[in-house]
Amino acid sequence: MSYDIYLVGVGGQGILTLAELIMRAAVHNGHPVSFFPTKGMAQRGGFVKAELRLGRAGAGPHIRENGAHLVLAMERSEALKGVRYARPEGDFLLYGHVWEPTAVMLGEADYPSLESVLEAIRGSNARLVYLDPKELPEIDGTYVAANVFVLGAAFGNTRLGEVLSAHEMMEVVQARWPHRAKHNAAAFDAGLRIRGTS
Amino acid sequence: MQIKVLSGNEALAYGALQAGVKVVTGYPGTPSTGALTSLLAMDLPGRYVEWSVNEKVAFEIAAGAAWAGQRALCTMKMSGLNVAYDSLISIAYSGCNGALVIYVADDPGASAGMAEQDTRGFALMSDLPMLEPSSVGDTYRLTQVAFELSERVKTPVFIRLVTSIANAKIALEINDSLPPAERTPILERNIAKYTKAGAAICITQHQDVIARLEKASEVIHEMGLNALQLAEKPGGLGIVAVGAAAAYLEEAFDLVVEYGVDKTEVSVLRTVTTTPFPTADVQKLFAHCNFILALEELEPYLERGLHIEAHRAGFTGRIIGKLDDGPLSRVEDYDVDHVLQGLNTALGLGIPTDHFEGNRAAETLASRRPITVCAGCPHRGTYMAINQAIRNLNLGKDEVMVTGDIGCTILGMNPPFNTVWTEVSMGASVSLAQGYVHGGVRTPVIATIGDSTFFHAGIPGLLNAIQHQTPLTLVIMDNGWTSMTGMQVNPGTDKTFQRPGGHRIDLAQVIPGLGIDQFFVIDPYDLKGATSVIEGCLTLPGVKVVLSRRECAIQATRQGKRAGNLRLTPEKCVLCKQCVTATGCPALSIEAESIAIDPTLCNGCGLCAAVCPTGALEKEDET
Repeated sequence: MSYDIYLVGVGGQGILTLAELIMRAAVHNGHPVSFFPTKGMAQRGGFVKAELRLGRAGAGPHIRENGAHLVLAMERSEALKGVRYARPEGDFLLYGHVWEPTAVMLGEADYPSLESVLEAIRGSNARLVYLDPKELPEIDGTYVAANVFVLGAAFGNTRLGEVLSAHEMMEVVQARWPHRAKHNAAAFDAGLRIRGTS
Repeated sequence: MQIKVLSGNEALAYGALQAGVKVVTGYPGTPSTGALTSLLAMDLPGRYVEWSVNEKVAFEIAAGAAWAGQRALCTMKMSGLNVAYDSLISIAYSGCNGALVIYVADDPGASAGMAEQDTRGFALMSDLPMLEPSSVGDTYRLTQVAFELSERVKTPVFIRLVTSIANAKIALEINDSLPPAERTPILERNIAKYTKAGAAICITQHQDVIARLEKASEVIHEMGLNALQLAEKPGGLGIVAVGAAAAYLEEAFDLVVEYGVDKTEVSVLRTVTTTPFPTADVQKLFAHCNFILALEELEPYLERGLHIEAHRAGFTGRIIGKLDDGPLSRVEDYDVDHVLQGLNTALGLGIPTDHFEGNRAAETLASRRPITVCAGCPHRGTYMAINQAIRNLNLGKDEVMVTGDIGCTILGMNPPFNTVWTEVSMGASVSLAQGYVHGGVRTPVIATIGDSTFFHAGIPGLLNAIQHQTPLTLVIMDNGWTSMTGMQVNPGTDKTFQRPGGHRIDLAQVIPGLGIDQFFVIDPYDLKGATSVIEGCLTLPGVKVVLSRRECAIQATRQGKRAGNLRLTPEKCVLCKQCVTATGCPALSIEAESIAIDPTLCNGCGLCAAVCPTGALEKEDET
């Protein structure tokens, strides 16, 4: 089977790392996988996207419009750039973090309202899963890594969990940062258990 | 054998090692950079790898090594090939001993923000073979083929990737036992081969280069690199596909099953080159098919070749592509929908438009997110100082030409600085500025350039300005690294990072050696001092050079260095937002009661404090 994931966010949120973790789990499982990250020229704070294609050996790296089985967005405004890639009847997971560009902070530019973004996602006929960033859990007084939490939520709320095993994904996450294994396991697990809204 | 997750760039590097490459040179350029970076990170006894000062130099070094009988590789982006091209034509005429492979990366979709140049045009102009892998796996295989082909035919060979192959990653099975690179060098004195001494020699060499391309075509055929599959039944559609577009063919065939298309009724030629043109295979396709679909990104080089061959063969069927108002685009990179559009037109499938278009209106609601320099970037101070100097002279921003150049320094074109007006090519800022002066502009003219770009191609422009005493101010923004491509070492990088026994070239010594009177070194973190020097330069006659010097903040932080510490006293903050407006620093944000600083980003450069009117932001120097 083939399963395409389109990821969008802002540089610094760990979205490329998130994509790489999924790739590792897929490679570990012997699935053919192509991972194409695109980061802008900024070290941090610029638009970032990644295209992950599972289960299609030798395929080109790009996902077609209307083609992504899962769109995974980690920033409210940038989520809009994933909408055209959403497959009708696919999943669209939005972690609604707000990262305002400078012009917005200065009141010189608009920032889309949550309702308008959710409306646009629903308009793609994908199944919306919304995660409020306020749900990001704290462990020992510090917030967990948002990307690992979102990864867990993708397994708990979308059909990604039917393509890869959550248990193996968890092992990949722990092996990636051995000294943070406990923290990340808790973050992943919290994501797995949370239920997003539609 | 072992399985490794590799990008196209890395696959190319491993392919070159597998082919016994001894000398590798290049200049960083997105998306090609990763190939040489991955080689530099390896321990490779008996081989030599360097970032050269520019692509022309890099190419000449690789050519010298190949003339000495070794296998050599040179890497660059498409813009870099333009720089190397002068020598490339000469060396194409001479051919080579050993093997000489040029890796060039094109960028359909311009994700690195330069040009959608299709370098295949250069292969045509130089009569050099150019291999065009369609995937990461193909890259590993064809890189090895490129060396083999080069050595057998005695010609330089291009290998061309595009961004979506160079930067995509897959799990790949590679051979982990590497052949030795060491060969005994040869010294061949052959005036007829290595010089251009007279028309007779040049014309003979021209005949040689034509003959070598012919030979390359035969060798490619003999190696069976092109895959031709003729449908059992003649008379149907024939597809010719090359490069990244070819990777979407199988996926497209899956998608058209529901439109009744049986792929076994379609003939397909997957060619690995446009130059040399796969004439023999194309003729077989013409003899078998009634109409042809050409699949290639960017310019219709393959398609034009098909029209020529069709004419020669008397083939009168339709050729579908980009010419004759065909359905395919000459801009942007391809995905499966482009191939689908081709099949849709060729076979008259009537696929509805909404199949190809998702909800594109949604993203028009997204906030613009212009990129700016990093927190603590020294360039921020230089742009703030230039802007302030212009204001101090009571000049408007639209009255002072500030030319820009390639690299991180170009971010001065974006808000909040809006300082720089032009972006052309490596080093062009310095010469363009002279043109504005001679064009009669009465206000001061400023050129800006980064250190690596200045070493690369800015120096000749400065020599020209000094020779002709053209009045302008050149600001060299020296952060000690080739930063935008991911922190490569350049001639000005600190000695600690140069190769053992390598030498650092200090611009503060080079420039005074040119016989220039007005030379100043400033610290971009010292906004007041920097502004006053630049302001002074704008009123002085002749050539002025300002060296604005501070190490790249990312690299300084990696070495555990901080510029200082910033103290925020929220009670003093009146939320005038001056700091955000002037610096656009990613470490600053606006909270309900006061400005806030992200301590994980701030390196204490103090530029926000320099514009804070209330003293809410203060810089404490590192002791």
